[in-house]
Amino acid sequence: MTSPPAAPTVPPRARTVWHRLLRDRGFVIGASIVLVMVAVAVAAPLLDRAAGQDPNTYHDTLLDSARGGVPLGRFGGISAEHWLGVEPGTGRDLFARVVYGARVSLGVAVSATVLQVVIGVVVGVAAGLGGRFVDAVLSRLVDLVLSVPSLVLAISLLAIVPPSWPRPALLAVVIAVLGWGGTARISRGETLSLRTRDYVAAARVSGSGPWRVARREILPGLAPPVLTYAALILPTNMIIEAGLSFLGVGVRPPTPSWGQMLSTATTWFRADPMYVAVPGVLLFLTLLAFVLAATGLRRVLDPRQREVLR
Amino acid sequence: MRRTVPLLVAATVLTGALTACQGDAGTTSGAAFDPATCQGGTLSVLNQGGITHLDPARLYTSGGGNIPSLLFRTLTTRNRQPGEAGTKPAPDLATDLGTPSDGARTWTYKLRDGIFFEDGTPITAADIKYGIERSFAPELPGGAPYLRDWLVDAAGYQGPYKQPDGIKAIETPDDKTIVFKLRKAEGDFPFLATATQFAPVPRAKDKGVDYEKHPISSGPYMVASYEQKKSLSLVRNPHWSAKSDPLRYACPDKIDVTSGLDAAVINQRLVTGAGQDANAVTTDAVVGPEQLAQLGTGSELDKRVARGEFPSTTYLAFNLKKKPFDDQKVREALSYAINRTSVVNALGGSAVAGPSTTFLPPQAALGYQPYDYFPAGDGGDVTKAKQLLPAGGLSIELAHENDDANGLGPKVAAAVQNAFKQAGITVTLTAIDSATYRDVTGKPATQPALSLQNWGADWPSGGPFLIPIFDGRQIITAGGNFNLAQYNDPAVNAEIDAINALTDPAAAAKRWGALDAKIGKLALVVPLTHEKDVYLYGKNVKNAVPDGWRGQYDLARVSVK
Repeated sequence: MTSPPAAPTVPPRARTVWHRLLRDRGFVIGASIVLVMVAVAVAAPLLDRAAGQDPNTYHDTLLDSARGGVPLGRFGGISAEHWLGVEPGTGRDLFARVVYGARVSLGVAVSATVLQVVIGVVVGVAAGLGGRFVDAVLSRLVDLVLSVPSLVLAISLLAIVPPSWPRPALLAVVIAVLGWGGTARISRGETLSLRTRDYVAAARVSGSGPWRVARREILPGLAPPVLTYAALILPTNMIIEAGLSFLGVGVRPPTPSWGQMLSTATTWFRADPMYVAVPGVLLFLTLLAFVLAATGLRRVLDPRQREVLR
Repeated sequence: MRRTVPLLVAATVLTGALTACQGDAGTTSGAAFDPATCQGGTLSVLNQGGITHLDPARLYTSGGGNIPSLLFRTLTTRNRQPGEAGTKPAPDLATDLGTPSDGARTWTYKLRDGIFFEDGTPITAADIKYGIERSFAPELPGGAPYLRDWLVDAAGYQGPYKQPDGIKAIETPDDKTIVFKLRKAEGDFPFLATATQFAPVPRAKDKGVDYEKHPISSGPYMVASYEQKKSLSLVRNPHWSAKSDPLRYACPDKIDVTSGLDAAVINQRLVTGAGQDANAVTTDAVVGPEQLAQLGTGSELDKRVARGEFPSTTYLAFNLKKKPFDDQKVREALSYAINRTSVVNALGGSAVAGPSTTFLPPQAALGYQPYDYFPAGDGGDVTKAKQLLPAGGLSIELAHENDDANGLGPKVAAAVQNAFKQAGITVTLTAIDSATYRDVTGKPATQPALSLQNWGADWPSGGPFLIPIFDGRQIITAGGNFNLAQYNDPAVNAEIDAINALTDPAAAAKRWGALDAKIGKLALVVPLTHEKDVYLYGKNVKNAVPDGWRGQYDLARVSVK
């Protein structure tokens, strides 16, 4: 943060930030879509009850078996019962699966991001406040994490884990463990610059230990850049989850996830375009929304970036 | 047939018989196909499965395979006709199907005249004997296990490299005669003699494991270049003559096989037919939903599709040594609860799979007798299933492969899981790596209580279908076991021996069917579906008629002229 030392002025500042965010059109649009998606994910069982559908029930009568199992009727079998049509080959309700898929896609991405932030901030602050030796060791560790080809490693890791392990949690952990390097770097850099500030020096002189300094003086200053960064890596994590599920090492059937739906949809894209369109459009919309919101957040929180972006 | 050994004949090569194709006979012009004037051009073969071993000792084929059969002539071969006629063996290097004596324990063959290797050397009975002996060498594993079991005193034979004296049970009194001495009566011997292990190999040209780099051809084509798992290029064998080989038409001048392609890509290329792809076929990429959705609509594609049926059954295998499947009521409950329509759809719809209530697939050559002891209808009889189940429902595990390539993957498993859920049975799915799946299920020590399985015919007869699955003497504890029920009934074993002794396939078929119908009452397996095969071919390809043995068009008979 380059803003003036402002530790005691948090409440008024938060309010101005909020006002500025609400005036940022990109943020408002992005955040609204994100909110809707989160609400859908949280309310998945309720929504499915409202639609009268279940994500795992087969409907063989809705399929044209002779033509490979494509849904009968137009637009992938859209009807009053099946609002987005049914899945080819099984007849499972697409709306129900998309809604439950949102839980996996968002849940994994959010958990992974939270984990990445926690690990990254802890390591970054420790490196920034610790001595030269601690800094050197932790920084090399961060270099190591950043240089690992994470997708390849994630595929190999997930491929050897026994199938009985809870898959979504595992995905979140693997994505987080392989991807906290960026957060750690940013946290360390900010910590190094913050620790030279007068108010931090004052706190140290007045006898605060490193733990208290980190908690009371450094963390509030770290929040804006780290939050902005988190908002930017969240969609990336979502893409990684979709990619891993697409490659067959993500969530296991019958658990739906958007990436996995896209994966099975690839063989159907001509026979049943709806099946590709539904998860594809949703994934695109959600990612776009996150990026819009993150960019808005960055514009508001980081004046330096605002200049660069304009 | 072990589906885990696809070799040249990749998993889906398994195809079948009869059905529609006799009518449209694969000819696009409507004019009758004339094998005498079909010569010329280059045929492209676009495949998923790579050629792992081009050694006749190592190939595990049904009826000699499709590509292997272009290179390797065998004592007998499949008849290469559509429908029922195609399920019969026919003489190839031999003059007839063999003369049984000593109650089908001795089989004598005479070789044709005018048969040569690609270098012009005449093929002798000793070459065939040597080819069989090599297939016993531990250096060259992979072939079907029958000969080791059938030949007198051959079980311990280690191949000609370690034991150059050879197998005493195969006699070659002169260059044109070969005699096999079996330790038990085997009426199906002429069917087994279609396997590539019965192809001649010249001892002077044998380079052991390196022989596959350029196997010496006895068929209409020979290897011009071969890259393992990637490509194989075949040109005409100048010393092969059509007069000595009435079954192979050998129309194209050149055949290029490309492997390692994605099934969706292969089928899209066949549909589009751009450039050389107009002359293309596939031996292992059954059509996907993309193409099925375009078929039957009167489109141009309808004229370029070959539909056959390879005898193969997908089923649920119980382990009777494990609870709760020791209880026949539980097995019956599951037989009632199954929803075969869901399974058919999971496999790709009614064009590529049909519901089965019998273990034998519906081919007359296998002795198929219809029965349905636990009528589940199309969608399952949940009420009946619940009546048979213990109060409080049931919780079971189902083992399946971790990918869908062999039709034993998550899609089918999920369909089974959903069907059983309706009857109050909770199914936990256990995915096992497809590369080791048969190792896990084939060893009684590691065998799961319930697993998804399929079984295809090594040749179109009831024996190779029922014996490995239900013969109690075939329970192999060391691994490679297929009698997953671990069922051993001396009466059934005795009946198997009695049918094996029959040399009349029609009489044997009748009794195989009756045996299947008898065993079916015990619900040792839940038959799910039988296989149907739909293969596309390029615009210029003619005579792509599926034969009754493999359900697939025969590369030795298609033309691109």
